[in-house]
Amino acid sequence: MNGLLTKFLLKNPSVLVFLGALALFTAFVSVGSEAFGWGFISTSFVKTLGKTLCFCLIAIAMDLVWGYCGILSLGHFAFFGLGGYMLGMWLMYARTEIIVQTAMSNEVIPPTDQEVIDAIGTQIFGVVGGSDFPMIWAFAHLFWVQLALVVLVPGILALVFGWLAFRSRVTGVYLSILTQAMTLALSLYLFQNDSGLRGNNGLSGLQNLPGLDDVSQDIVSMWFFWASAFALGLSYLLVKLITESKLGNIVRGIRDDEARVRFLGYNVEGYKLFVFVLTAIIAGIAGALYYPQAGIINPAEIAPIASIYLAVWVAIGGRGRIYGAVIGAAFVSLLSTWFTGGQAPDIPLGIYTIKWVDWWLVLLGLSFVIVTLYFPKGIGGLFDRLVRKGDA
Amino acid sequence: MLRVLTLFLGLLLAVPAFAQSSLYDALAEQTAGLKKPSSKTIETVISSLQDSGAPGVADFLTKLQSKEVWYRKSDDKFFFVATDDKKTYRLIDIQSGEVVAEVAKKEIKQIKPNSGVRAKIDGALVAFRLTDADPAVRDAALVGISRDPKAKDLAPLSAALASETDPDLKARMERLSRVLTVSFGDTTEARVAAIASFDGDLGLDARAVLNPLVTTTLKAAPEVGAGENVAKTLRLGNDISEEDAFDLLVASGLAQAEPTKGDIKAALKANIIGDTVGGMNVANLGTDEARLAAHMALAASGAVPAILTSEDKAALLASAAYYEVYAEADPAVTAAAVEALSSISTAVGVSQFIDLVLDGISLASIYFLAAIGLAITFGVMRVINMAHGEFIMMGAYTGYVVQQIIPNYTVSLIVAIPAAFVITFAAGVAMERLVIRHLYHRPLETLLATFGISIALQQIAKNIFGTQARPLTSPGWLDGALVFNDVIAISWIRIAIFVLAVIFFLGLLFVLNRTRLGLETRAVTQNPRMAAAMGINPDRINMLTFGLGSGIAGIAGIAIGLFAKVTSELGSDYIVQSFMTVVVGGVGNIFGTLAGATMIGFLQKGIEWFNPSNTLAAQTYMIIFIIIFIQFRPRGIIALKGRAAGD
Amino acid sequence: MAELLEVNGISVTFDGFKAINNLAFSIGYAELRAIIGPNGAGKTTFMDIVTGKTRPDEGSVLWGEKSISLLSKSESQIANLGIGRKFQKPTVFEDQSVRDNLMMALKAKRTPWAVLFHRGSDDETVRIEELATEIGLKDALDRRAGDLSHGQKQWLEIGMLLAQDPQLLLVDEPAAGMTVDERNKTTEILKRAAKTRAVVVVEHDMEFIRNLDCKVTCLHEGSVLAEGSLDFVTSNKDVIDVYLGR
Repeated sequence: MNGLLTKFLLKNPSVLVFLGALALFTAFVSVGSEAFGWGFISTSFVKTLGKTLCFCLIAIAMDLVWGYCGILSLGHFAFFGLGGYMLGMWLMYARTEIIVQTAMSNEVIPPTDQEVIDAIGTQIFGVVGGSDFPMIWAFAHLFWVQLALVVLVPGILALVFGWLAFRSRVTGVYLSILTQAMTLALSLYLFQNDSGLRGNNGLSGLQNLPGLDDVSQDIVSMWFFWASAFALGLSYLLVKLITESKLGNIVRGIRDDEARVRFLGYNVEGYKLFVFVLTAIIAGIAGALYYPQAGIINPAEIAPIASIYLAVWVAIGGRGRIYGAVIGAAFVSLLSTWFTGGQAPDIPLGIYTIKWVDWWLVLLGLSFVIVTLYFPKGIGGLFDRLVRKGDA
Repeated sequence: MLRVLTLFLGLLLAVPAFAQSSLYDALAEQTAGLKKPSSKTIETVISSLQDSGAPGVADFLTKLQSKEVWYRKSDDKFFFVATDDKKTYRLIDIQSGEVVAEVAKKEIKQIKPNSGVRAKIDGALVAFRLTDADPAVRDAALVGISRDPKAKDLAPLSAALASETDPDLKARMERLSRVLTVSFGDTTEARVAAIASFDGDLGLDARAVLNPLVTTTLKAAPEVGAGENVAKTLRLGNDISEEDAFDLLVASGLAQAEPTKGDIKAALKANIIGDTVGGMNVANLGTDEARLAAHMALAASGAVPAILTSEDKAALLASAAYYEVYAEADPAVTAAAVEALSSISTAVGVSQFIDLVLDGISLASIYFLAAIGLAITFGVMRVINMAHGEFIMMGAYTGYVVQQIIPNYTVSLIVAIPAAFVITFAAGVAMERLVIRHLYHRPLETLLATFGISIALQQIAKNIFGTQARPLTSPGWLDGALVFNDVIAISWIRIAIFVLAVIFFLGLLFVLNRTRLGLETRAVTQNPRMAAAMGINPDRINMLTFGLGSGIAGIAGIAIGLFAKVTSELGSDYIVQSFMTVVVGGVGNIFGTLAGATMIGFLQKGIEWFNPSNTLAAQTYMIIFIIIFIQFRPRGIIALKGRAAGD
Repeated sequence: MAELLEVNGISVTFDGFKAINNLAFSIGYAELRAIIGPNGAGKTTFMDIVTGKTRPDEGSVLWGEKSISLLSKSESQIANLGIGRKFQKPTVFEDQSVRDNLMMALKAKRTPWAVLFHRGSDDETVRIEELATEIGLKDALDRRAGDLSHGQKQWLEIGMLLAQDPQLLLVDEPAAGMTVDERNKTTEILKRAAKTRAVVVVEHDMEFIRNLDCKVTCLHEGSVLAEGSLDFVTSNKDVIDVYLGR
C-alpha cells in the first residue's frame, strides 16, 4: 500500500505541490495565530480561514460528483448541514450536561439520572416549548456514536436518495432539480419546531468544547483549523487517487457518455451511487468541522441556495480539476466575507453610492453568468493555460 | 347620550300610531304598581302596558330597568331624569324627550326595581323588540338572542313568529326558535323534534347548540348515581388506564393524592437529620428506589404520610365505577342529539370535502400559472430557466409600482397585467439573446447561468424595494368570498385566479395548436434542422417562445402578488414547486402541466388536511412523495412515448 | 444448442407504430452476418432489444448454451454476458487517451472497488498493444481519442468491443463516412473478428456487404423479409420492391 502511494505521488507531482502548499499555509497560520505565534492573525480570522478550508473540502466533493461524474447535485449542502447537526447534537448535549451537573451538585439530595436528563432536556428544548428528548437524540450523549453518524447519516440519505434517483435513470437537469427538492424538503422539515432539532433556533454554542471550558478559543480555533487542514489534505489525496485511477476514467466516461459505459458492461448506477455517497460523506465531515468553528447551525444554512453557491464556487474555480474547486471555494467565499462584512470600500457615484453589502450578490450572480459563458473552465482553466504556456 | 336618546324618542314618536292610547294614560292606570314594583305585581303592569299599544313603552321599560325612571312626588307623574351636579335635576318628558322642568332632589323619587323585577322587564323587552315595527330593531333583537340564548326568550320568540311578515326575518326567527327549543323546550318531545329538525344541517348555530348536549364528563363514584344520563361506563384497564382512574378518584375525593417524585424529594429534604434521612445517608439518595425506601422509613416512623401499597391501591381502584355522563340529563334528548350530530358530521364531511376540492383547484390554478411559462420554455427549448421565479417576482413588483402611480385599484390592475407581460417579455427576450442563446445543448450550464441571473435579479429587487413586503392590493370587487354555506367558501381572488388559469390554458392551447407561431414552435421543438430548412427561423421562434414563457410568468406574478405579499423572495418560494409541476406533469405539453399542477395542488391540500397544523411538514411530505412518484413515472404523468421522447 | 442467439416472435410498438413485428432471428457461434433494410426497418431497434436498451412487448431473446433469457437483464449485465455493441455514431471517450479507452473496455472485474484498486498488469499492457495493432492505432495509444480522425474513432470503438472479448458483436454502420481504404481495413477487422465469435453488421452500403461475403438478413417494417446470400437476397422480388419503392 505504501509503495502504491509513493508511486502515485511520483506519478502525480501536482498532489505533492498541493499538499506542500497546504502544509506551508497551515504552518504560516499557526505561526501567525494568537495562540501559538506572533498573533498577527486574529482568532476570528483563524476561524474564518478554518471555515474556508471546510468550504474547500466540500468543494472537492462537489467537483468529484459534478466535475468528474457529471451529476450537478444541488443537495450537497444538505449533507454538509446534516454532518454539522450530528456533531452539534453531541457538543450541545455534553456541554449542557456539564452545566446541569454543576448546577445540581449543590443540591442536598443528589439528583437521579432521570432528573439530570430532564434538566438537560428543559435547557435544550425549552426554546421550542418542550423538554423531552426526541428519539433522534438517543445517542447524543455518546461521542463516538455521533461521530459515526456524521458519516452515516449523510451517507445513508445519499444512498437511499441516489438509489431511487439513479435506478429510475433520472439524469441531467431533472436530477439537479430533484436534489434541490430533497434539500428543500430537508430544510423545511428542520424548520419545524417539532423536528427534534430545535426548529429555526438550530443548535448553538457549538464553539465550546465540553469539559474544556478553560481552554481559550484562541487555542480551540487552532485545533479546528488543523483538523480542517488535515481533512482537506487527506480528502484531496483520496479524491486524486480516485480520479487518477481506472475508476476515475470510468466516472469521467459516465459524465461524457453514460450509455457507452453501460454497454461496456459497467453498472453505471452503482458507480454513480458510489461517487454520490462518497461525496456526501466528505460533505458531512466538512460540515462537522465547519459548525464548531461557526458556533451555530440552523436550517437556513442548508436551504437550497447554499448548494447553489457551492456550484458557483466550483464553476468559478474550474470544474474537473480538483485544485480548481479548492481555489474557487477559497476565493469566492473569502471575497464574499470581505464584501458582505462591510470591509470593502463603498463606491460613490455622485447620485448613488454603491454599497458592497447590497451589491455584492449582484456582482457575484453576473460574474457567474460571465464565467459560464466565456470561461467555462473557470480560474483553474486560466491557470492551466498559463502553465501550458510556461511549458512551451 | 341624552341627545341620542332624545332623538331616538323623537323617532319613535314619528311612527304613526293607530288604535293606541297615549303612554301617559297607560302609565297612569298602573301608577301604583310602577311606583313600588315587585316581582309579583310587575307582570300585570307590563302586560297592561303592552296591551295599551302605546308608543314608547319599550323605551320606558328599558329606562325603568336601568333605574332611570323617577316620579314626581307632587303628582305621581313619571319622568326620565338627568343631572350634572346631583343638586338640581332636569325632568325629561317620557314621550317628547324634552326637558320640562328643573327640580331639587327632594321633589322626586327614583324607582328602584329589584333584580327579580328587572329580569321580568327584560323578558318583556325581548317581546317588544321582536314585534317592533322597525325591521332593523327586530333584526337586532334576533342577533342579540342568538348571541346569548336564554330560556325566557323562547316564549316571546314563538309569539313574534306568528306575526312576523318579513320572510327573511321570519325564517331566521323560526330557526332561532328551533335552536332555543333544543335547549329550553318544555317537553322532551318538543326538544327531540327540534333536534331532529337539524339533521344534516350545516349551520354553525345548530352545532353550537347540539354539541353541549352531548359533552360528557368523566366521573368516578362508588356507583352510578340515580338520574345520571350515562354515556358510557368505562372498564378499568381497558377503557381507562389505572393512572387516569386513580387521578379521577383523587379528583372525586375518593382517594388521597399520591406524592409525586418531587413531593417525595421535598419530604425527604424536610426530614434530613444530620446527613441522614429515614436512616439512609443523603449522599446515597441519587436513585428513585433509594428515595422511595427512605420515604417508607419516614412513613413508618410517622414523619410523613404513608404511600399506598399496590394491593391497597388496586382495592381502591376496584371499589369505584368509572363512567362518562352527559351534561344533559334527558336520555331521549341526548340520543336524538347524538343522532342529529352524526348526520350533521356526515353532511359537514361532504361539505368539507367539497371545500377541500375547491381549495385544491385554487392551489392547482396558482401552480399552473406559476409553472406554465416554465413548461413552455422547458418543453419547447429544453432550457431550464432558474430565473423564472424572478420573472414572477418582477411581474408582482410591476403591479406594485403601477399601483403607486394609479391609485384606482381596478384601473391599475387593468394596466398592470399588460405592463407586467411586456416587461417580463422584454426581460426574457434579453436573457435569451444575451445568455441562453450561447448555451444551447449545454443544459446544465444554462441552469447555472440562469441561477446567476436569478441571484442578481433577486438582490437588485432587494436593493430597490427593500426587504419589507410590499402590498399589491386587490380591487374592492375581489374582496370577500363566495359563501355557499358555513363550511364551503372560496375567496373571489382565488376564483379570479382560477379563471385566469383557465384563460391561459385555453389561450395557450389555441396559440400552440391553431396559429402559425404554434405550428412553427412545434416544428422547431420536433426537428430544429428540418424546420430551419423549411424557412422557419429557429432563432426567432426560440426568442419568441422564451419571451412568451417569461411574459406569462409576469402575469402569474400579479396573480400571486394579489394574495401573497410581494417580496424579493416571492419567486424562489414558487420555483421548486413550479419545476416539480413541470416534471411531474411531463415535459413538453400543456396538458402535462395541467395534470402536474392538479396533482401537486390536490396533494398538498390533502396532506394539509391530514395534518392541518403544519404546512411546513405538508411541503416536506409532498416533495418526498414527488421524489417517489418520479420513480414510477420518470417522464411524468403525461409522457411522450417512444422515440420522440428519446434522448 | 447450435445457436448463440435466438430471437423469437418479438414485437415492439411506439405510440401505435410497430417498430418490430414478430421478428425471428438467430446466429451461430462463429458467424458473420449482415443486416440490411431501408430506413425505419427496425435495425437499430432490434439491436436495442438485444442489448437491453428497449424491452419488447412480447417474444423471447435467448442467449448461449444455457438459453438464458436476456429480457430481464440490464444493459451492463447483457454486456458482461458477452454482447458488445457499436453505435451508429462513433462514441468513444474523447477526453481520454486511446489507451485509457481500451483499458476501460478490457475484460476485467467491473465493480467500483476492483476498478479503484486496479493496477494495469503486464498482461493487460500486452493485450492493449495487440488490440491497438489490430485496429491500426498502435502509434496513437497516448493520443486523446477526441483528436482522432472519424475513421480512427470507428476503429477505436471496434477495438473497444474486441477488448471486451464478447461472443457476439453488434456493429451499427461501421463504414459510414469512411474512405475506400478505411473501409477495406474495416472489412478485414470484422472478418478476422468473426473467425472466433459471432458478428452482426448493420449496413446500408451494398459494396461493403459484398466484401464481407456473408449471409445477409433483410429487414422490412420490423420483420425479416428475406435471408440468404447477398445475391439471393438482392434477387428476391420483395426486396427489390422495398428498395425501389412500390
